[in-house]
Amino acid sequence: MNGGPRLFSILRQGPYLIASIHTALDDSQLVRFQQDLVERIGSDRARGVVIDVAALDVLDSFASRTLRDIGEMARLRGAVTVIVGIQPDVAFAMVELGMDTGRVVTALDLEEGLAELDSHVTAPPAPRT
Amino acid sequence: MHGWGRRPPAVRSAHRRGTPGRTVSRVVAVEPVGSPGGDCGSADVAALIPLVRRIVASRVPDPATADDLVQETLTRVLAAAGRVEPGMLEPYAIVTARNVVTSMWRDQDRQRRHQHRVVDLRPPEAPDEDVLAREDRAAVAEALTRLSDRERSTLLAHEVSGQDTRALAAELGSTAGAVAAQLNRTRARLRVEYLLVSERVEPPTERCRPVLLAISGGDRRRQREVDAARHLLECDLCARLSEPLVGRGRSRDDAVRVAVRTDADVVAARQAAREVATRLGFSTTEVTLIATAVSEITRNIVRFAESGEVVVAELQEPRKGISIVARDAGPGIADVEQALQDGYSTYQGLGLGLPGARRLMDEFAVVSEIDRGTTVTMTKWRGET
Repeated sequence: MNGGPRLFSILRQGPYLIASIHTALDDSQLVRFQQDLVERIGSDRARGVVIDVAALDVLDSFASRTLRDIGEMARLRGAVTVIVGIQPDVAFAMVELGMDTGRVVTALDLEEGLAELDSHVTAPPAPRT
Repeated sequence: MHGWGRRPPAVRSAHRRGTPGRTVSRVVAVEPVGSPGGDCGSADVAALIPLVRRIVASRVPDPATADDLVQETLTRVLAAAGRVEPGMLEPYAIVTARNVVTSMWRDQDRQRRHQHRVVDLRPPEAPDEDVLAREDRAAVAEALTRLSDRERSTLLAHEVSGQDTRALAAELGSTAGAVAAQLNRTRARLRVEYLLVSERVEPPTERCRPVLLAISGGDRRRQREVDAARHLLECDLCARLSEPLVGRGRSRDDAVRVAVRTDADVVAARQAAREVATRLGFSTTEVTLIATAVSEITRNIVRFAESGEVVVAELQEPRKGISIVARDAGPGIADVEQALQDGYSTYQGLGLGLPGARRLMDEFAVVSEIDRGTTVTMTKWRGET
């Protein structure tokens, strides 16, 4: 199930990871995305993750749950997650569906997302000095 | 290269004086074969062979073709030898060789340009074609014997003897329309019997024949009556046999069917729904709602049943809308009411699948039978605009 080309990319940007989904993913691809991303958070010692979901055609219950889980797992691994690029139609459908989007932080676009991460991440390391 | 380049004008004048045509036949006709100059000419021509060969070889890479052209040149030169002035035979041979090569190129070019006209589009006859045709005839004959006498005689009278429906109606004491309808039913039956004979199978259940007949006839009402769609999910034989029947029966392309087995099919199903909804003029927001609902119910097929299908159809009456039917032959839902409640989930989902999809659509119905499968039917109507 996990064969085939990756339909998403995870790129490093300083202390952050930028994960972009390139096309509509099916459930097993979403699971693969989740696994890869959580692994990369460890291997890259990332402090924050931006997930760009602009290319997803729908965020149904499974996709929402997966994103929520990623946020939770990332938090446990010491990284903050921001979801960016939820399209207005998709947002509408999520609300209609009755999705509980939980405590995952969202931002409009990549720029806002990175700014959001900065505000979360730069604060904690300071007390160490 | 050899200084021949300067000579052609002289040759051309020789042409003007003596040999007008290039074709051998015309030259030969003018020039009787046993002319006095013949003998000395052939010796001279033989001496020209290496020269001609060089000229042709420098223009034509393929040795076999070059050889043919050398032969042709020599034949022409030989035929004209009697008429060409002494000493002019060499330039004459050179020009002839060039002409022969050029006309070959021209022929090739012409052939290339006209090649498309001679392409034979019929597939080449396979070695087993004859055998297959014979088996086919046997299968049709066998299928014909399975019809009732009346069906068979009417069909043969119409198809073989060429009697029209009106004549048949008069004979049978019926109307032309009724005869035509009966012929249609007979043909549908013949198709089914033909498939059964050629596959050498007997339908495993009582329901198979009626289902196949309804599909073969393209009769949607009858298909619903015998619940053909569900039977095709349950019965592998009928699913296979019905494929050619469905292909020909489908006259309208307003319904898209997506077979669902794996995760990837969920994406395919919601994209099919998206396409149909867009074509119907739903707004992008509505299209996303529909796609989300399709995603939810299709996922249930993958989760709970081994396989199923999603059929997305356009509705025109009473107004434009989209109808989605998701069907599986899985274990079924024990308590549909409970499954429709928020938060009820048998796997670690959000429990939003069915209730969520219901909220997204205008009409929503779940029919489920334990061990027989589940059918979700949902509809969204387009706004009044």
